[in-house]
Amino acid sequence: MLKQVFESDFGESYVKCEHESGLQIYILEKPLYNSAYALFGTRYGSIDNVFSVNGEKTQVPEGIAHFLEHKLFESEDGDAFTRYAATGAYANAFTSFDKTCYLFKCSTRFYDNLEILLDFVQSPYFTAATVQKEQGIIGQEIRMYDDSPGWRVMFNMLLAMYKNHPVRIDIAGTTESIAEIDDKLLYKCYETFYNPQNMFLCIAGNVDTDKVLKMVDEAIKPKEKVELCRIMPEEPDEVVKPYVQQALEVVIPLFCFGYKEKTEKPLSLKKRICTSVLLDMIIGDASPLYKKLVNEGLINDEFSFEYFNGPGYASVIFEGESQNPQRVADEIKAEVARLKEEGLNKKLFNAVRSNFYGNAIRNYNSIESIAMDLVDCAMSGHDLFDEIKYLKAITVEDVFKRLTVLDNDKTVLSVIVPKEK
Amino acid sequence: MSDKIVSIAEGVEGLFIENNRFNTTSISYNFYLPMREETAALNALLPFVLTSCGKDYPDFSALTLKLYKLYGATIDASVEKYGDCQLLSMRISCINDRFTFDSDSLVKSASDMLLGLIFEPNVENGAFLEDDLQREKRKAIEHIKGEIAEKRIYAKNRIIGEMFKGEAYGIPKCGTVEQVEAITGETLYAAWQNMLKKAFVRVQVIGEALPHKFFEGVAERFEGIERSGITDCRLCKPTAPANKVNTVFEKMDVKQGKLVMGFSSEMYGDDDISLPLMVMCDIFGGAPYSRLFTNVREKMSLCYYCAASAIRYKGLLLVDSGVEWQNADKAANEILNQLEIMQKGEFSDFEFESSIKSISDTLTGYYDSQSGIDMWYALKVHNNELYSPEDILQKIKAITREDVIYAAKGVKLHTIYKLLPKEGPIC
Repeated sequence: MLKQVFESDFGESYVKCEHESGLQIYILEKPLYNSAYALFGTRYGSIDNVFSVNGEKTQVPEGIAHFLEHKLFESEDGDAFTRYAATGAYANAFTSFDKTCYLFKCSTRFYDNLEILLDFVQSPYFTAATVQKEQGIIGQEIRMYDDSPGWRVMFNMLLAMYKNHPVRIDIAGTTESIAEIDDKLLYKCYETFYNPQNMFLCIAGNVDTDKVLKMVDEAIKPKEKVELCRIMPEEPDEVVKPYVQQALEVVIPLFCFGYKEKTEKPLSLKKRICTSVLLDMIIGDASPLYKKLVNEGLINDEFSFEYFNGPGYASVIFEGESQNPQRVADEIKAEVARLKEEGLNKKLFNAVRSNFYGNAIRNYNSIESIAMDLVDCAMSGHDLFDEIKYLKAITVEDVFKRLTVLDNDKTVLSVIVPKEK
Repeated sequence: MSDKIVSIAEGVEGLFIENNRFNTTSISYNFYLPMREETAALNALLPFVLTSCGKDYPDFSALTLKLYKLYGATIDASVEKYGDCQLLSMRISCINDRFTFDSDSLVKSASDMLLGLIFEPNVENGAFLEDDLQREKRKAIEHIKGEIAEKRIYAKNRIIGEMFKGEAYGIPKCGTVEQVEAITGETLYAAWQNMLKKAFVRVQVIGEALPHKFFEGVAERFEGIERSGITDCRLCKPTAPANKVNTVFEKMDVKQGKLVMGFSSEMYGDDDISLPLMVMCDIFGGAPYSRLFTNVREKMSLCYYCAASAIRYKGLLLVDSGVEWQNADKAANEILNQLEIMQKGEFSDFEFESSIKSISDTLTGYYDSQSGIDMWYALKVHNNELYSPEDILQKIKAITREDVIYAAKGVKLHTIYKLLPKEGPIC
């Protein structure tokens, strides 16, 4: 097994390995901790609906990656939750746009839990009856999100921003699309994406790296290599429509305001960090714009922003509650235009950078955060300690360059308004 | 009282938990006051006003800029119900000095900053400044109005309001919109003075080391304050069983209905008494091995979530689920059926042992979360002893099946709340 050790200058180190099956393994030991957190994942998410294997093209129903995640917990002789119940671990799983991860957290019997994790994710068992049962449960999950204004405001924005890219579709799919799923389709997707070549194992906490690697070596079942190609539709630079609105049971309107960025290649970590620093300078808690919007009663503590990006999509998103979402969007656009004209404030840049550095150090308190950051490394190929390295190295000019991605002609404002009584 | 507790002033305790696994130090000030209709909104607004600006930081932007320069130190405020008290917390957290490039007194600066904010707010002539007041009032009102957006939380708050009408526990933790609107600079000032004079106070530090003369510094601040009539933070009236089960319906334009069932428990009180209720609640509806998850969700396929939670100190147990309105009665009947199984002791040894293991594992994991430890001790002031997670773990291991059955037998249905879509049945 190819093994690399990475050391930081702030007392942390981790190991990266590539198993002969192609599985990537990342482990950061925290010997002073009681617990450990492990994620076993695949580069397979809700956007992977059209793909080809060894040249043969397949299209599958929306929401199938998430459906598969639910079903993988079941096996012929019981489910994985029952096995975890015998050890006391906390176990869960999640599906996002570009990945599916199975995880556990425990403070005792780590290796027993790892054995369960590696085993059940590699042991699919789907039947027509169990698929039908899950349609009821996931149907209720979808209904729950239909009533969630925070969820709807985001997906309405993505629908108005992306014409073709599958990021516009709800991760769980729809009640209609999941009705098309059957056991055969699940096996097809499983065989395509749950190949160790396409998977990773990320662990942080009180574990022994050598012992983990030995276990993995014995448990991982190598599979034949396949030529997997994800097929993404052509996406225009323009947004579909600049404004979208839905009425739900809320009292204060919710908004989600996004800038669409043209993207072809995966974004580098440095660019992502520069964009995050830029956003904090535009509208973070210490910025002049944030002060103005709060003092004028336009936003409250629910306000947040993020750089949302993945394979074939990137957008800057501002969201929150406001009595006047249009004004908030207009103020952001005006500030972007002003900063393009006048440049960025160097003193604020230094303060924001100091804030980011402190947050990055703080992140190493949490084994969950570390393990999720290792997943990010596995997905994009960077080194875990690059974040702090770049934070020390970036300049205000680097950050200013990212301002150019904010195009005031490529924005979407999504609003949830109260129902009329 | 534990030897770890330092007496700072009358009704003011200090607690330092040494823990060298974190890169940060956390300091929290916890003020406990009785929950009352007339003061709930005033008290709830205080920690937010106090942590948004101060004498040295005229507005929140100046304050945030200072936090950024302190390597991303964070300040946060919260309000919680604690028995029949209101718990107001203010916390600061910063990276330890060894991670900075230019400062060997970062933790000291952060600790001085929070102390200054609490004791030297922006006040003039016995009133908070109008701008600060109006800004925080507006945010508080929007927060209260915004609660309806998340129906699961809204539904749980609604049933608590119904079950404890006219009682301290039924008061919304941040008060009502009307109560916030009525706050003036003068009334808030009086509430601040009242907090400093009458609240029971717990100051907690978690980190590698206690900042130099930390508790002495806090004591100096309390020196000029006349402390009397201190809150008894054990104030807590147990949940009274219902004479007749109350059913409450509400209609909204939603797709999925919400079902919440509230139960009273004859077992209630501190950790020396009520831990079997924790295990009972966990087997009943706490984890994927629980009766509710395996039956109502997995076998009957009725919902995505069906979970139980217990507020042991209050003797209150809630079960909540998101279901189609047509299935609400079916789900409610099955929940009651599962409770009966718990009461008859018909749960398996496997379920019982799984629960003990799961709770034990979680307790051991507490030591790995700084905010988790802070919260743990802030929510344990009612016990006679200062129990650590390890102490509770030992008590959990001593619990028997019979203890759990006994706890279950005391659980009685009190109120059913249903949030129904408009196209649902006529109620």
